[in-house]
Amino acid sequence: MAAPTKGPRLGGGPAHERLMLANLAAALFTHKSIKTTETKAKRLRPVAERLVTLAKKGDLHARRRALATIHDKTVIHELFTEIAPLVELRQGGYTRITKLGYRKGDNAPMVQIELVLEPVNAQPKAKADTKQPKAAPVEEAPAEDVTEEAPVEETPVEETEVTAEAPAEDAAADEAPADEAPAAAAEAPTEDAAK
Amino acid sequence: MAVPKRKMSRASTRMRRAQWKATPPTLVKSIENGKTVYSLPHHAKVVEDSAGTPLYMEYKGRKVADV
Repeated sequence: MAAPTKGPRLGGGPAHERLMLANLAAALFTHKSIKTTETKAKRLRPVAERLVTLAKKGDLHARRRALATIHDKTVIHELFTEIAPLVELRQGGYTRITKLGYRKGDNAPMVQIELVLEPVNAQPKAKADTKQPKAAPVEEAPAEDVTEEAPVEETPVEETEVTAEAPAEDAAADEAPADEAPAAAAEAPTEDAAK
Repeated sequence: MAVPKRKMSRASTRMRRAQWKATPPTLVKSIENGKTVYSLPHHAKVVEDSAGTPLYMEYKGRKVADV
């Protein structure tokens, strides 16, 4: 259910606002995407989405109720026959508002309000995303098995390096009690030399 | 009709006007192609070609509007 709007009506009065919103909704259904001010777009959204809901219902009564808002039969026909099938699986949220910036002249925040006509695939996609991380480790595990050989080859090399480093470090550690700072300084070159 | 009794002093005028302050807009810093770009958050951006001609407005990888 649409929440009651706060603040004054748009335009000159309640009737003016109704007409403006009806005309904006008609323009939206005709062009699928319109540029308007943020305030108008936010007021338009519940009006337009309600009309889309009526269009999804699709019977004669719903059509007459939609015609009570938008008096243009061609627009209503397009809404019921072309737009309604595209949003059949969508459970609300038929419009999308994107902020564009500020209008030159009065600095009004402008938005693009458009009908969301893409097929609904967000839910399967999200599941696919969750599956991918699960699947990824499974795929990685064999990959690791393949790559394990390389680390095995590498580890002895590292071990030899470690063993090569170890005496040097031991020697450094032996020297350490005497004077720690030069020993630490001596450690770094030996490690570099080992690598 | 109610009218001011006294002329408003220059000091009062200036004290009032001293409270008119501009606030800096909240911007998002991002790096695109090695250039640091500051842009408004949650707003569509203008996509330009290599020559700098604006092509269209884009938001979250979706073409939103013409410029």
